[in-house]
Amino acid sequence: MKDDFVRHTYAISIKELKQLRRDPVSLVLTIMFPILLIGIFIVIASAFSATSHNIPVVVADLDGSPASEALLDKLTTSPFIHITELVQTEEQALGAVDRAQAVGAIVIPQGFGSDLASGKAFVVVETDNSKFTSASFVLGAVSSSAHDLLLEVSRGEAGAVFGAKIASIEVITRPISGRPPTGDTILPGFLGMIAILGAFDDIVNAISRERERGTFPRLALSPVSLFAVYSGKMFATVVLTILRTALMLVIFALDGVVVRGNLFLIFLTTILIAIFTLSLGLAISARIRGSSTLTVLEIAMTFPLFSLAGITDSPLLLAPGGRSIADALPWTYGSDALRRIMYLGLGLNSAVLGDLFILVVSSLVLMPIALMLSKRTM
Amino acid sequence: MSILSFVRDSLAVAENEFRQFRRNRSAILISLVILPFFFTASLGAGRGGAGTTFSATADIPMTFVDNDYSVASLRLWQTLESSPDFHSLTQSYDEQQSISLLGTKTIFAVIVVPKGFQNDLDNGAQARVILYTDDSEPGVSDQIQSTLTNYVQNFNPNVEVQPQLTEAEKQAISGVEIIQKGASFAGFNVGLTIVLAVVQIFAVFYEIAGGMSRERDEGTYARLLVTPIPIGAIILGKTLFDVLLSIVRTFIVLGLAIYGYGARPNTDLLTILALSLLVALVTMGLGFVASALKLGQRAVVIVEFFLILLLFAFSGLVIDKELLVGVSQTIATILPFSYAFDALRRTILLGRPVLSLTYDLEYLIASGVLFYATAFLFLSKFRERLIT
Repeated sequence: MKDDFVRHTYAISIKELKQLRRDPVSLVLTIMFPILLIGIFIVIASAFSATSHNIPVVVADLDGSPASEALLDKLTTSPFIHITELVQTEEQALGAVDRAQAVGAIVIPQGFGSDLASGKAFVVVETDNSKFTSASFVLGAVSSSAHDLLLEVSRGEAGAVFGAKIASIEVITRPISGRPPTGDTILPGFLGMIAILGAFDDIVNAISRERERGTFPRLALSPVSLFAVYSGKMFATVVLTILRTALMLVIFALDGVVVRGNLFLIFLTTILIAIFTLSLGLAISARIRGSSTLTVLEIAMTFPLFSLAGITDSPLLLAPGGRSIADALPWTYGSDALRRIMYLGLGLNSAVLGDLFILVVSSLVLMPIALMLSKRTM
Repeated sequence: MSILSFVRDSLAVAENEFRQFRRNRSAILISLVILPFFFTASLGAGRGGAGTTFSATADIPMTFVDNDYSVASLRLWQTLESSPDFHSLTQSYDEQQSISLLGTKTIFAVIVVPKGFQNDLDNGAQARVILYTDDSEPGVSDQIQSTLTNYVQNFNPNVEVQPQLTEAEKQAISGVEIIQKGASFAGFNVGLTIVLAVVQIFAVFYEIAGGMSRERDEGTYARLLVTPIPIGAIILGKTLFDVLLSIVRTFIVLGLAIYGYGARPNTDLLTILALSLLVALVTMGLGFVASALKLGQRAVVIVEFFLILLLFAFSGLVIDKELLVGVSQTIATILPFSYAFDALRRTILLGRPVLSLTYDLEYLIASGVLFYATAFLFLSKFRERLIT
C-alpha cells in the first residue's frame, strides 16, 4: 500500500513535468518569470545607483556675490542635476516648475553672501513633488552643494572665513551585514515572489487546466488515490521550485550579488513558500475554476504583495493597518527568512526558525481545508 | 451603410457584451470588486489614509547604548526617548550584547554614543553617534538614519529640553537652511494616481483581449463575423461596453479613496474621469491589437502580466522617467502609459488644468488612434485566420 502510494505519487509527478515540457507557453513562463523580475530590478537599481543624472533645474541667483557664485559653481558641477536655464527672478524660476519645464527651481536670495557670514543663510528650492524620486535627488544635490561650500569657506579655501556652522554631530551607520548600501536587500524577497508566482502557476496547470481539458475526472477515476494525485502534483511543484530557485541563484551570481547562508536553507524556504501558496491556490481553485481567471487573480494579488509581504519595503515601515496585514500573511515570514539567510548569512537562529515554523503551520492548516474543498467541487 | 445602422449594430454588440458579463460571476468579481477594491485597500493599508500621519520609525524596536555617561549623552537619550519617532527605544549598557541581538528580530537598530562624545562637543569638534542596523530589512536602515540625523544635527547639549524643530529647520544641514517650496503629498494620494491607472489597464486589457479570445474559443466570434455587423461596429460596441465598466470602476476606486481613506484630489471628478477613460481607451486599443494576433486566453493573461511589469519598470511608477538611463529612458519615452501617469499626477496631485497638459494628451490620443487603426486593419485583414 505504502509502495503503491509512493509509486503513484512519482507517476503523477512525472506526468506533470512531462505536460509542462510539452506546453511551450507554460515552460517559457516558468523560465521568464525570474528573468523578467530580475530585469526590472536591474532597471530600477541602475537608475537609483547611477552616478549621474540630468534632472532639469533652473536657478535664479538674486545675490550675485562671490558666495552665491561659488554655490552656483557647485550646483553646476553636481552630477545629478542639469541647470537648463539661469533666470533673473524668483517668479521666473518657480514658473518653470509650474509649467513642467524643470523638476526643480533653486533660488539663491539677495543677501546670501552676507547671511552666510553670520551662519544664517538660506536657499529656496521648489520641486515638482509629483515626481517624487527626482525631487529628492534635486534636494540632495542642493544640500550636498551647500555642504561642500560651507566646508570650503570654513577652511578658508574660498579666500574668506565665514562664521559657518558644520553639523555638530555626525551619524555613522554600520549595517550588520557589512555590505555597502545597495538595492540587493530586496533580491531575497524577489526570490520569494518567484516561488509564490511559480507555485500559483503550477496550480493553474495542475488543477484548473486539467479540469478544462476534462482529464481531471479521468485521473480521479484511475486506481490512484486522490491523496497520491495531490501529493504527486505537490512533488512536481517542489521539483519546479528547486529549478526556479537554482535559476534565480545563478542569475544573482551573474549579476554579481553575493549570496550568503546555507543553500539548503534557501531551497527549504522557497519550497515551504511554494507549498503554502499551492495550498492557497488549491483552495481558491475550488471556487474559481477557469485557468485564465485564476491566473488574472494571481497577478492581481502579486502587485499588492510587493508592498504588503515585505518584498520591496520592510513591513516595519508600513502604516499600522498594513503592518497587521503583513503580520498575518505567511509569505511575509518567508521573504523575511530568505533575507536573513541570504543577505545576513544567518543559519537556523530563533528568527529564521520562527519564520519557517509559521510557514509550515500555515501550510498544515490550509492544506487539509484545500483538499477537502477541492474534493467537494471535483 | 448608414451611420444609424452602424450605431445600432454597435449598440447591439455592446448589449450582448453586457448580457454575457452579467452572466459571468467571475468576471464581475474581478472587474468590479477584486481589482478596484483590492488595489485601493492595499494602498490604504500600506501607506495609511491621506489624512493620517504616522512615524515609520516610532514602533521599530531599538536600543540606546550610552558609553559616555555624560550630561550631553543623557540629554541626547532624553531627546530621543521623548520624541514621537522613537517610541520603542530602550536603554542598554552592553554594546556587544545589543549588537548581537540584531538579526534576531528582537531589535533592529542600536544607537551607540561613544566615549568622548561630550568632550568633542565641548571642544567644538564634530562628535559622533554610531548607528548599527539590521540592514536585511529593506529601507529600515535609511529611514532610521534619516530620522536620527534630523534629531542630532541640531542637538544642543547645553539645552535640557531641545526645541521642537520645524520641517524647514530639520533641513538646515551644515548651516545653510534649505527652504522647500512646492506642495507635498500624502503617500496615499501619490499611490492613488498609480492605482487608478493600473486598475484600468489591468481590467481593460483582460476584458478586451481576454473577451475576444474567449469568444473565439467558444465559437461565438465566428458567428459574430457571419452576421452583417461590420468589424468597426464590433470594435465600437465592445468599446462602449468597456467604457461603461471603466466609468463604474473609476468611481469605485475614487469613492473608496475619498470616503474610505480621506483622499482629496486637487482637481474635479470630471477631469479624473476623463483621464481615466483616456487611459482605458488606449489600453482597449492595445487589447484589440493583441486580440487580432490570435492570442489564446492564457497567452493574453501572460502578455498582461508582462505589460504590467513593463509599466512598473519604465513608466514612472516606481522611479521617475527622468532618472532612467539609456534604453530604459527610450522605452519610457515611447510608452504611452508613462504620459498617462504623468497627466494623472499633474492633475490629481498638482491640480493643473487637464487642457494645459497638451503634450501628454496629444501623445495619449495619438497612441489610442494608432492602436485602434492597427487593430481595425489586423482584424479585417486576418478575419479568416482568426476564426479557424
